[in-house]
Amino acid sequence: MNKKAKKLLGKIAFTAAIILVLLFVLGPYMWMVSSSFKSTLEIQGMEPSWIPKTFTLDNYKTMNDIVPVFDYFKNSLIISGGTMFLSIILSTLAAYSLSRFRYKARNPYIMALFSTQMLPGILFLIPYYVMFIWIKHTFGLQMTNTYYGLIFTYTSFSLPFSILMLRNYLDSVPREIDEQALIDGCTRVQALFRVIIPLAKPGIAAVGIYSFIMGWSEILFATIISGSRTTPLSIGLLDYIQQNAAHWGNMMAACIMSTIPVLILFTLMQKHIVQGLVSGATKG
Amino acid sequence: MNKKRLAYFLILPAVLAMLFVHIIPMIWGFVISFMDLDITYIMDWTKAPFVGLENYAKGFSHVTTIGKRFGRSMLNVGIFGFLTITIGYFMGLGAALLLNKPFPGRTLVRGLILLPYITPDTVTFNFWRFIFQARIGILNKMLKSVGLIHDNVIWLVGNKSLYAVTVAAIWKGWPFGALILLAGLQTIPREIYEAAMIDGASAWQRFKYITFPYLKPVTKTFIIMNILWNFNAFNQFYVMLGNDPGMAAEVPSTLILRRAFNHFEYGLGSALSMMLFALMIVITALYFYFFRIRSQEDA
Repeated sequence: MNKKAKKLLGKIAFTAAIILVLLFVLGPYMWMVSSSFKSTLEIQGMEPSWIPKTFTLDNYKTMNDIVPVFDYFKNSLIISGGTMFLSIILSTLAAYSLSRFRYKARNPYIMALFSTQMLPGILFLIPYYVMFIWIKHTFGLQMTNTYYGLIFTYTSFSLPFSILMLRNYLDSVPREIDEQALIDGCTRVQALFRVIIPLAKPGIAAVGIYSFIMGWSEILFATIISGSRTTPLSIGLLDYIQQNAAHWGNMMAACIMSTIPVLILFTLMQKHIVQGLVSGATKG
Repeated sequence: MNKKRLAYFLILPAVLAMLFVHIIPMIWGFVISFMDLDITYIMDWTKAPFVGLENYAKGFSHVTTIGKRFGRSMLNVGIFGFLTITIGYFMGLGAALLLNKPFPGRTLVRGLILLPYITPDTVTFNFWRFIFQARIGILNKMLKSVGLIHDNVIWLVGNKSLYAVTVAAIWKGWPFGALILLAGLQTIPREIYEAAMIDGASAWQRFKYITFPYLKPVTKTFIIMNILWNFNAFNQFYVMLGNDPGMAAEVPSTLILRRAFNHFEYGLGSALSMMLFALMIVITALYFYFFRIRSQEDA
C-alpha cells in the first residue's frame, strides 16, 4: 500500500510538473491570442481576463489601417523567400564539395564556417553600411533599402549553419551512389543534380526553412539597411507603438499573422531542423 | 574539369558571399576604428582623418561619458548573460529529465516546449513588452489580484528593465537547452542505470555519477554558445526597451548602434565593436583553456 501510494504521488508530481512547464510556455501565447480578440476598451481595462468578454475581430480588420503591415508582410516574404532560394543553391554546392572531395582548403574552410557563426553581428554592421554607401557612391549601385541587398546579406548569414547541416546530411548518403552514377556515364555535375539532390531533398528543405526563418526574424541589420520601401515585419511591428497611442490589440493580431508562416514551415520540417541543431551542438 | 578544380569551384560562391559580408567588413571595420569617420566623410570614407588609438581610448576611459556607458553596458550584459544562462540551463535540464521518461503525449509536449525557440524574436519580445506594461500589462494585474503589489510596478524603465528583459530572454532561450540536453540524455545507455540500480545506487547518486558526467560535453557547448550569443544580445533590448534602453539596461550592441547611426560616430562605433570582439575572443580562449586542463585532469 505504502509503495503504491508513493508511486501514485510520484505520478501526480510528475504530471503537475509537466503542466507547470506547459503553462509557463503557453501562457504568454494564450495572452497574445486572447488580447488579439479583445476590444481596445477591454485591453485598457483593469480586470485581466483570459477569455475576451466581448469577442471581436476588429484588431484583425483594422491592423493594416495604422501601419502598412501587409506591405511589411510582403517585404518579409520577398526577402525571406529570396534568402531561402539563394541559400539553398549556394549551400548545396558547397556542402557537396565538402562532403565528396578532399582538398587542402577543406578543413580550414570548415573551421572558418564554425567560427563565423559565432561572430557578433554588430561587428560587421558599421563597416558593412560604410561599404554599402561606398558602393553606391563609387559604382552608383543602390544597396541599402533594396530587396537584393537584404537577400544577399541574410543569405551569407545563413550559409555557415546551412552548409554544415547539409554536409552532415550528404555524408549520410552513401558515396557508392555517386560512383555508380559516374560509372553509368554521368559527369560529376550531372551526378549531383540527377542523383544526389533528389536523395537529399529533406536536408535541402531543412536548410531552406532554416534560412527562411532566419531572414524572417532578423532585426539588427534590418534597422539599418532596410528602408521605407523594404521594411520587413520584424521591425515594422514596432510601428504599432507610437508616441501618443499604443495599438496593442492590432499589434497582437499582427504578431499572430507573422508567426503563422514560421509555424507552418517549422511543423513541416521539425524533425530535420531539430536533428541539425542537435548534431551541431553535440558534435561541436 | 578535374576533381580538385570542381571542388573549389563548388565552394566558390559561398566563399565569395561570406567574404563580402563577413571577412571584408571585419577588416574594413578594423581600419575604420582608427579613423574619425563621421557624417562629413561617409560619402568617401578614405578621406576621414586617422586618429590612431583615440577611439579606443574613449571607450576605455572612466572619465568620458561614452567610456562610462560602455563599461556599464558590459556589466549589464554580464549580469544578463549570467542569469539567462544559469537559469535557462537548469530549467532546460529539469524539462529534459522530465521528457526523458516515456509518457503519453510526450512528442506533443516536446513540440510545444520548442515553440518559444521558433517564434520570431520580434513577436516574442513584443508580447513580453505587452505583458510587462505598467498599467495594462497582465503581470501587474495578476500580482495585484493576489495582493503581492498594490501600485503598478514600472518594469520597462529604470533599474527593473534589465531584469524584465532577462525574464523574457530566459523564456525564449531555455527550450534550446532542454532540446540539446534531452538529446544528451538519450545517448546514455540504459544498461548503466540498470547496473547502478543493482548495485544499490540512489536516484541522486545515479544522477551525480552517471547522468551529469554524460551531459558534460553538451553542457560545455551550451555554455560557450550562450556566452557568445548573449554578449551580442540586441533584439531583446531593442524590441522591449527601444533604441535607447537607458543606462540601467544598456548593452554593447544598442550602445554601438546608437553611437554609429544616431550620433554618426562610425569610427568610435567600430572601435567599440572591436573591443567587444576582442573580449569575446579572450573569453572563448579562457573557456577552452580552462576546460582543456580540467578534462585532462579527469582523464
